[in-house]
Amino acid sequence: MANVSVAAEWQLLGDRYYRKPELYQPMRWKHIDLSRNKVACAPFGGPIALIRDDSKIVQLYAESALRKLRIFNSAGLLLSDTVWKNPGGRLIGLSWTDDQTLVCIVQDGTVYRYTVHAEPLEPNLSILGREHFDENVVECVFWGNGVVCFTETCKVFSISDFKNPVPVRLADPAPVPTETEELPHCVAVIEPQYTMSGNVEVLLSIGDAVVMVEEDEVQPLQLPPGDGPLQKMVVSGNGRFVASFTHDGRMAVYSTRFEKIFEYQCESALPPEQLAWCGLDSVLLYWDDMLLMVGPSDEPVRYLYDEPIVLIPECDGVRILSNTSMEFLQLVPNSTVSIFKIGSTSPAALLFDALDHFDRRSAKADENLRLIRSSLPEAVEACVDAAGHEFDVSRQRTLLRAASYGQAFCSNFQRDRIQEMCRTLRVLNAVCSPEIGIPLSIQQYKLLTPSVLIGRLINAHQHLLSLRIAEYLGMNQEVVIMHWACSKITASSAISDATLLEILLDKLKLCKGISYAAVAAHADKNGRRRLAAMLVEHEPRSSKQVPLLLSIGEEDTALTKATESGDTDLVYLVLFHIWQKRQPLEFFGTIQARTLARDLFITYARCHKHEFLKDFFLSTGQLQEVAFLLWKESWELGKNPMASKGSPLHGPRIKLIEKAQNLFSETKEHTFESKAAEEHAKLLRMQHELEVTTKQAIFVDSSISDTIRTCIVLGNHRAAVKVRTEFKVSEKRWYWLKIFALATIRDWDALEKFSKEKRPPIGYRPFVEACIEAEEKGEALKYIPKIADPRERAESYARIGMAKEAADAASQAKDGELLGRLKLTFAQNAAASSIFDTLRDRLSFQGVS
Amino acid sequence: MAQIPNLDNAPLNITSLREQSQKELINILKNIRGKKCLIIDPKLGGSLSSIIQTSLLKEHGVELRHLSADPIQTDCTKVVYLLRSQLDLMKFICSNVHNDISKGLQREYYVYFIPRRAVACEKVLEEEKVHHLITIGEYPLYIVPLDEDVLSFELDLAYKESQVDGDTTSLWHIAKAIHKLEFSFGVIPNVRAKGKASVRVADILNRMQAEEPVNSSDMVVPEINTLILLDREVDMVTPMCSQLTYEGLLDEFLRINNGSVELDSSIMGVQQEGKKTKVPLNSSDKLFKEIRDLNFEVVVQILRQKATSMKQDYTEMTTTTQTVSELKDFVRKLNSLPEMTRHINLAQHLSTFTSKPTFLGQLDMEHTIVEAQSYDICFEYIEEMIHKQEPLVNVLRLLILFSVTNSGLPKKQFDYLRRELLHSYGFEHMATLNNLEKAGLFKKQESKSNWLTIKRALQLVVDDTDTANPNDIAYVFSGYAPLSIRLIQHAVRSGWRPIEEILKLLPGPHSETKRGRFSSSPSFDTLQGASVNMDRVADGRRSIVLVVFIGGVTFAEISALRFLSAQEGMAYDLIVGTTKIVSGHTLAETFVEKLG
Repeated sequence: MANVSVAAEWQLLGDRYYRKPELYQPMRWKHIDLSRNKVACAPFGGPIALIRDDSKIVQLYAESALRKLRIFNSAGLLLSDTVWKNPGGRLIGLSWTDDQTLVCIVQDGTVYRYTVHAEPLEPNLSILGREHFDENVVECVFWGNGVVCFTETCKVFSISDFKNPVPVRLADPAPVPTETEELPHCVAVIEPQYTMSGNVEVLLSIGDAVVMVEEDEVQPLQLPPGDGPLQKMVVSGNGRFVASFTHDGRMAVYSTRFEKIFEYQCESALPPEQLAWCGLDSVLLYWDDMLLMVGPSDEPVRYLYDEPIVLIPECDGVRILSNTSMEFLQLVPNSTVSIFKIGSTSPAALLFDALDHFDRRSAKADENLRLIRSSLPEAVEACVDAAGHEFDVSRQRTLLRAASYGQAFCSNFQRDRIQEMCRTLRVLNAVCSPEIGIPLSIQQYKLLTPSVLIGRLINAHQHLLSLRIAEYLGMNQEVVIMHWACSKITASSAISDATLLEILLDKLKLCKGISYAAVAAHADKNGRRRLAAMLVEHEPRSSKQVPLLLSIGEEDTALTKATESGDTDLVYLVLFHIWQKRQPLEFFGTIQARTLARDLFITYARCHKHEFLKDFFLSTGQLQEVAFLLWKESWELGKNPMASKGSPLHGPRIKLIEKAQNLFSETKEHTFESKAAEEHAKLLRMQHELEVTTKQAIFVDSSISDTIRTCIVLGNHRAAVKVRTEFKVSEKRWYWLKIFALATIRDWDALEKFSKEKRPPIGYRPFVEACIEAEEKGEALKYIPKIADPRERAESYARIGMAKEAADAASQAKDGELLGRLKLTFAQNAAASSIFDTLRDRLSFQGVS
Repeated sequence: MAQIPNLDNAPLNITSLREQSQKELINILKNIRGKKCLIIDPKLGGSLSSIIQTSLLKEHGVELRHLSADPIQTDCTKVVYLLRSQLDLMKFICSNVHNDISKGLQREYYVYFIPRRAVACEKVLEEEKVHHLITIGEYPLYIVPLDEDVLSFELDLAYKESQVDGDTTSLWHIAKAIHKLEFSFGVIPNVRAKGKASVRVADILNRMQAEEPVNSSDMVVPEINTLILLDREVDMVTPMCSQLTYEGLLDEFLRINNGSVELDSSIMGVQQEGKKTKVPLNSSDKLFKEIRDLNFEVVVQILRQKATSMKQDYTEMTTTTQTVSELKDFVRKLNSLPEMTRHINLAQHLSTFTSKPTFLGQLDMEHTIVEAQSYDICFEYIEEMIHKQEPLVNVLRLLILFSVTNSGLPKKQFDYLRRELLHSYGFEHMATLNNLEKAGLFKKQESKSNWLTIKRALQLVVDDTDTANPNDIAYVFSGYAPLSIRLIQHAVRSGWRPIEEILKLLPGPHSETKRGRFSSSPSFDTLQGASVNMDRVADGRRSIVLVVFIGGVTFAEISALRFLSAQEGMAYDLIVGTTKIVSGHTLAETFVEKLG
C-alpha cells in the first residue's frame, strides 16, 4: 500500500535520498507576503518574527502606515504584535537568540530586544559603544547568542553574548587595499565554540580577497586563484566548512582556511538570494523561483517555488517557510530508507511487510518473520528508529506497531525501547500541534533537551502543557510551577491579595520544597508587598525567608524569624540591615528588647565598634558596662609606648580608671567593682611613685601581692609595709608574701626574726614549706617542731626524709591511714618501712583495745 | 604516623564522614590552580591533622602557614585562608592584605570559612575595605572523628560564648552537625535533652528537619536510635575534679591534643636532649585501648603484670623446648613490646606527678568539696592557695567546684575571695571574675544549695569502690560517680521520667521528643521493653545512642560511658559527640580573660 508512495516522494542526490515532508499546510496566517517583510525565524521550530521591510518600496493595502512587529509560531499562529516606533533609522537585521529573545539592530547601532510576547526588554544598548555613535551599521550577522556587524566605514563590532551584552570593537580590516572604499561583499562568522581562540572569527570578503577579523588581529586568507570576489558565504553548522558563491557563478565549498573542497558551476552568475547548508551534506541556493540543492555529485536537485520562501537551517536539515506552508527538507534517515526503499528486502522492510500481511490475516506474515528470524532485533530497532523520524502520526503508529509485532517474537530486545519512543513521540506531537507550533525532529529534540523545551514552553506561557510534559517525563515540576506562579501574579493585578494567595497556594503545594520566598519576591517586585508578606509566611526555610522579609521592609518580623531559627548568621544579617537603616537610638531600642540580637551586637561591637558600643550602653543605661570598657581602654593606653612606664603619662590612664570607678558607683550592685577600680587607681599611683624612687620600671601593672614581694626582695621593707597598710592586706596574706619573698632572697636570718615577731597567724607550716622549696632542710628543721598539728608535723618530717621523726609524729596523731601513706613515701627505704609497720601495728592494736 | 585514628571498628560508618571531609578539602585546593600558600588558624591545625595528612596537602601544591598579623612570607601569588568563622580572626586577614597592598604585592586571596561563611565576618572585611579583593568560600567541616566512638564538633569556645556572651552560634552548628549525621544514618527517632542549650539544639534540629527533611523512607531502621543532649552547665562538678583514669590523667598533666601528647623524647626513652616526641593515643593502639579507661592505679598493676609475665615467658623460652604454636604465641607477645614500653614510660612519667603531695592534697580537697560536709576547711584551703599565689587556673578549678556545689558563696565571703584574687593576680582579672559570674560558676549565693540532695538521690559518692573490678562508674574518680554520666545512665535505661524530680533541681529545662516516622507511634515509648527487636539493626549489631555534650566532655566521662556500654544487658553502643574534649583546666582557661 503506502510503501510505494513513501519512496516516491524522495529525491536522489548522489546516492542519498532527500525528502521534504510538509509540517504545516496551510499556514494559520492570512495575507502574509514574505517578500514584503523582513523575517527572523528561530531554529528548533521556534517563533517567526515579521516586520515590513523598510528598505523596499512596497504597496500599502488597507493597513496603517505605522509598521507592526508581529510574532508567530512556526504554524503561523499569531503570538503577539506591537507597533514599531523605535528611532535610530532603518532596521538592519533581526534574529532570535538561543533563549528566544528577538534582537533587532537599527542603523545607528541601537539594539532593541523583545520577548516572545513582543514586550520590549530594557535597557536598550548600542552595539557601537559610546565612542562611535556617528557610525552607521550596514550589515549584521547573527549566531546563537551573538552578533557581528560592520559599518559604512568598515569598522567591525561584535556582541558575543546577549546574556551579558558587552559590545566589543574588533580589529579593523583596513590594511587590505580598498581603493574605492568598497564595502565587503559579504560576511560570515565562525562561532566562538568552533574557534581555537574561543572568540568569534569574522570572515569578510573584501575585493578579491577574504580576511579573517578577530578581536585584535586581522588575517588575510589565501583564496584559490580566480575565485574572488566571493558574493555570498555561509559557514556550516559544525563550523568547519564555508559554502560560497563566486563572482562567476560557481558554488564552492571551502575549509575555513579556504582550501577548496568542492565546486559546482551554476547556470546563473547572479548570486542567489539565499544560501544555506542543509545538514552537513548539501548546500541550498535560492533564486527567485528556484531552489537548487547541490550535493557531492554532479546532478543537483531542483525544486520550483512560485512564491517567496525563507530557508531556516536546522541541525539536521532545513525548514522551508513560504507564504502558505512550512516544509522540512532533510536527508532520509537510514532506517527509513531500509524500510521504504523500493524493492528493499532488508529485515526491517520484511518486518514492516509482515505486519501488513498480518493485518490482512495472510499467512505470509509468518513466512516473512521466519525469513528474518535471526535479525529480528535489528529490524525492530529500525522500525522504532524510523517511527521517531516521522512527522505523520499514522505512519508513526504503523511503524511502532510493526516494531511491537516483531518484538513479540524476539526475546532479547530491550522492552522499554518502544515505550520510550512512544513517550518521546507523544511529546513531539504535542508540541508540533499548530496551537503550540514547535515542529521538532527527534534529532533536534535530543539536541535541545527536554528541559530547554520545557523552558521555552513556559516562556510562551504554555504552563499546563509544560507541567504535563514535565510530569510525563518524570522531571522536576518546580520550574514550571514557579514560573506559572510568577506569571500569574504579574497577570492578576485585578485579583485581591487573599484570593490570589489562595489560587497560588493551591498550585504551589503540588511541589514539595518549592521556594515560596522566590514567589514572594516576585510579588514584591510587582508592587504587591502585602501578598509578598502573606506568601513568605509559608516559606519553611528561614534562610530564604529572612532576606526576603528584609527586602519587603518587614525588619521586625525578620528579626523574630531569624531569632527563632537559631541561625545566628541570619540574625546578624537582619542586625546589620537595621543598623544601616535606622537612627542609632531607634536601633538601640530595637535590639535592647531582643536578647539574642543584643548579645550578638555586643559581641560584634566589642571586636570592631568600640565607641558605638559605648553609646549603646550609655543610651540603655548600662553604666557598669561602659565602666568596663573604659577600664579596658586604660590598659590599652598602658600598652601605648608613649605612655611608657615611669613617665607621668600614667595620668590619663588613671583618669580613665577613675571615670570607670565613678560609673560603677552609680549603681548599688557594683560597689565591689567600684572599690576595685578605686584601689587599682591608687595602686597605679603608688607603683608609679615606686618606679620613680627606685628608678626601676618593674612595678606598674603587677598585682598588689607582687608589688609587696618585689619591695621586700628589693629590701625596701618600708615601702612594702606602706603598700600593705594602704590596701589593708590581711595579716595572713602578708605573712605568706613575706615568708616567700624572704626565702626567694634566701635571707634566712630575717625569716627567723620574722617568725619570732609574734606567733604567726598562719602557723609555722608556711615557713617550713618555704625552706623546703628553697631546698634548705636545715632551715626547715628550725620550724618543724613548732608546728602544732602532729599530722602536719609528720608530713613535714617525711618531706625532708626524716622517717623516724615523721613516724613519731604520726603515731602521736593516732592516724593509721597517715602512717600507711608515709610508709609508701619511704617505700624504697626498708628500715624506714619497718618503723611504720611496727607503729601501725601498735596503733591498730590500740584501736582494738 | 598513626595520627589519623583508625575508625574501622567504629559502630557507625564514620570513616565515610571523614573521607567526605577529606574530599571536600582537596576539591577546594584543586579548584585553585597552581602553587598556593595555605594559611590556617592555629587552633585548626589539630582538627585538620585528624582529617588529612600534611603530605597530601603538599601534593596539591600547598605551602602551609599559620595565621598571624605578620606579613605573609611566601612567593605564591595565591593565598588561601582556611579558618573558623570567628570575628577576631578577621583582623589578621586585613592586616595581611593591607601589608601586601602597601608593598605593591598583587595576590589572589581566597578565604574559606569553617564550617560556613558568616555575615559578621564578611562585614568586618567590608569595613576594612578588603572584601572585594577576596574570593570567599566555605569548607563545611562540622564533625571531626577523634576515635571510633568520639566525634568532635571542634567548637572550643562554645561554652564560654553561649554562657557568657550569649552568642549561640555554636548551638546552630551542633544542630547542623547532628542533622548532617542524620543524612547519613537516618532520622534519630528519640531525642532527650537536659539543659537550656540542649533543649534549644533539639528545637533547632527539629526546625532543620522541617526545612530540609532527611528522607526517612529510604532507611529501614535508623542506625542511631536515641540522641541524648546534655549541657555542660548541668554538671560543672565533674570536669573540675581531677580525672583518675589513665587517659584522663594523661590529659590533666600532659594535655592530649587531638589524639596525641607531645613530650620530651627523654621520657620516652629516646636519648635526644631537648627534642619533643609526639605520641599518638587512640584505639589503634591495642594496649592503649585496653587500659585507657581504667583507673590509673590499676593500669600500673596491669603493666607490671604484663611485664612480669613477659619476663617469665622469656626465661622459659631460653630453658625449655617449645612447641611451634607456643613459639608463635611468644612472638605475638613480642610484637606488643613497643606498645608496652611506650605505656610503661608514660605511666612512669605520670606517677612523678601523682605522687606529689600537692596533687594528693588537691585530690583530698576535691573529695571534701564534693562531699560538701566541711565548708570551712574548703574555704580556708582555697584562701591559702590564693595567698600562696598558686597558678590561677588551679585556684579557679577548686573555686568553681566549691561555688557550684554550694550554689554560690555568701556575699561576704564572695567579695572577700574576689578581692584577694584581684590583689594577688592583678586587677585585670576583673574580667575573668565577671565572666565566671555571668556563667554562674563563681557567684553570690542566692538560694540554698541542693547539691546534697542530688548527691544522695543519684548516689554520686560511692564509698567502697573497687577500682580493679569496678561495678559502678564511680571508679573513674575513685569514689565519685560523675553526675553527667549518672544522668545519661538513667536516660538510656528509662528516659527522663523516673528522675524528673532530680532534673528539676539541676539547671535548665529538659525535654523528650519523638521524631520522624515514630513521632506518632505510642508503642515506641520506652527504649527497652516490648520493642527491643525494633532497636536492633538487622545484622545483629546493637543500635546506637549518641550522647552529645554541649560545652565539652572529659576523657574520664568518656571512659565511664565506655564502661556503661560494656556492661552486660546494655542494648546499645554509645557514641560520644562533643563540642570539644575538655579538662577542668582547659575549661577554666576559657573564662580567663584579662582586661588588659
